[in-house]
Amino acid sequence: MERAVIHLNIADFAVAVETNRSPSLRGRPLIIAPQGSPRAVVYDMSDQAYQEGIRKGMPLARARRLNRNIPVLAPGFNRYEQVMKDLLKESVAFTPLVEYGSFDGHLFLDVTSSGRLFGPSADVAFRLKKTFKSAFNLDPIWSVATSKLVAKVATRLVKPLGEYIVAPGDEEAFLATLPLHLIPGFTKADLNRLREFNLFSVSEARRLTLEQLKIPFLQKAPLIYDWIRGMDPSPVRAFSETASTLSADHEFSNDTNHAGILKKTLYLMIEQICKRLRDRNLHGGGTKLILSYSDGLQSLSTAKLSPSTSNDMVLFKKCVLLLDKAWTRRVRIRHMRLICETLCPPMVQADLFAPETRETKQAALIRAVDRIRNRFGHAAVQTGLTLTGETSSS
Amino acid sequence: MTACRLYTGTSGYSYGEWVDSGFYPDGTHSSNMLDCYIKAFHAVELNYTWYQMPKAPAMERMCEKVPEHFKFSAKLTRTLTHEIQKNLWQKEVLAFRQGIEPLIRSEKLLCILIQLPPYFERSADFRHYLAALLDELSGLPLAVEFRHDSWVNDKVFSELERRRITLVNVDEPDLPGLFPRLSMVTNPDLFYVRFHGRNAKGWRSGSMQKQFDYDYADPELKEWAERIKTGLMPEAAAGGIFFNNHVRGQAPKNALRLMDLLLKKGGGKTPWNAPSFI
Repeated sequence: MERAVIHLNIADFAVAVETNRSPSLRGRPLIIAPQGSPRAVVYDMSDQAYQEGIRKGMPLARARRLNRNIPVLAPGFNRYEQVMKDLLKESVAFTPLVEYGSFDGHLFLDVTSSGRLFGPSADVAFRLKKTFKSAFNLDPIWSVATSKLVAKVATRLVKPLGEYIVAPGDEEAFLATLPLHLIPGFTKADLNRLREFNLFSVSEARRLTLEQLKIPFLQKAPLIYDWIRGMDPSPVRAFSETASTLSADHEFSNDTNHAGILKKTLYLMIEQICKRLRDRNLHGGGTKLILSYSDGLQSLSTAKLSPSTSNDMVLFKKCVLLLDKAWTRRVRIRHMRLICETLCPPMVQADLFAPETRETKQAALIRAVDRIRNRFGHAAVQTGLTLTGETSSS
Repeated sequence: MTACRLYTGTSGYSYGEWVDSGFYPDGTHSSNMLDCYIKAFHAVELNYTWYQMPKAPAMERMCEKVPEHFKFSAKLTRTLTHEIQKNLWQKEVLAFRQGIEPLIRSEKLLCILIQLPPYFERSADFRHYLAALLDELSGLPLAVEFRHDSWVNDKVFSELERRRITLVNVDEPDLPGLFPRLSMVTNPDLFYVRFHGRNAKGWRSGSMQKQFDYDYADPELKEWAERIKTGLMPEAAAGGIFFNNHVRGQAPKNALRLMDLLLKKGGGKTPWNAPSFI
């Protein structure tokens, strides 16, 4: 049985999310790019900006020279990620096999086995499109095919709006007339190489045998040989909250560079994550802190946790160092994200007659705090650090 | 009996669950389903043209896969029935005409099925739109399926007769507001019957798998066989009979059984993949 793969693609995803926040920008040229760096490049742009010659990856300075009047917005990666999570929630109602990018508006669903429950794949795709539109005001292009590769080519063909169903068995014929640059996987260098041989379309490239393809492309040749025939066995990788990570986010209602507020927020996020770790009887083996500045730039710092831990205070000690490391600019911070990675079961063999140490005392305190909060709610008991006067909201 | 030629089939043919139900042999790939389907039926409704605008090259390839006598009923794209855009729909008609051109050229088009949504009531706006749509599609064999009972009106039927457009007789649950079960011929060239199943509970569930989950009982099919033989066949040169209750392979099973009944082979059950003589 062939697979039934749906590809949903929200064209100009970042622009779509931003114009949903500011509807007055809809239908106008718009550039999404970080503004704080002299070497910033265009992250995304509206169709109208595209018509003006703006392209993804173009230096922002050059884009501005093309048209000074186009408004530039800083990217809100956390927002894009949150929207992707919302889309994922709707998608997993149809199949657990959903693969999605963090910020790019692309989702692949493998619905091969859910036909009996939800009906034909085209109908599932259509229903999801309607749901995305009604619930999030996002209008995806959709396609149905037997592989991710063919489904992606199909959405590329109808961009920025539309749908494409490639019937099983029709893949080769469907691809035959298309230009090679529409096939995902080809790099610029690959395409240039093919151009050197006067090969521009899929049908032209198909004339080459595998042996002939191996001459310019070496190990990549078998892949290319399959791609141009619509063969792509790569599975739709199931989402599983990246099973080994936990994360907490905070968006400041007013951008801030106040150390007290940042530390307080950090501690609250640590409390959240550590509680979830303890509830699942897990420890974190690594941590990552991402700061998003008000101009759209981000900075990141990571640290290993050795030994692994679920102790709020131990983790806070580590994360304060991370905050110092990541916080390198004077620009105010808009968003903070803490990720706890490499989750593992606690590997602690307790001593029978363990002496009371600072750590064991902390652990006992945390257990007591957990018990109180489980019974009376989170606000029933708080650490002094989080009681500081400055407030912020997420 | 007149020389009415019947085209019996199902709404769509590419369903994985039809392998499990035994209609398609074990291990049948989606790409081979049409090859198996044409051994049992002489016509099929193309559902996918409702979801997306038909594309001539794909249609061309499909025509090459079926025998000469085989017919397709192509459902009109949703942008012309369910999601009409005021200023764009004429362009959509043009694109649709181009998409189905291979069917016309190869004489494999039974008709264009215009399935209207349940909210498409007989209001002034919708009446005007339908008239304009039928004008725009003129020259093509057309069948109109109403889902709202406000269209049960002699004026509607006589207008369809005047235009030689087929009214689709539907078999669906007895629910308020739904188009009733009729046996009418408004076009002497073609009558059309669609069997959606009578699952009243699942009809408005929002799930196709519930809406079209129905297995017609023999008495229900016998009643229809009689209606078709006495009421519809004498009035038209050809007839399209399609089962849309695709869930668990009930559509092909019921379609084959109805064919048996129409051929008066009422006694035995039709085996899967039995050749059609109609």
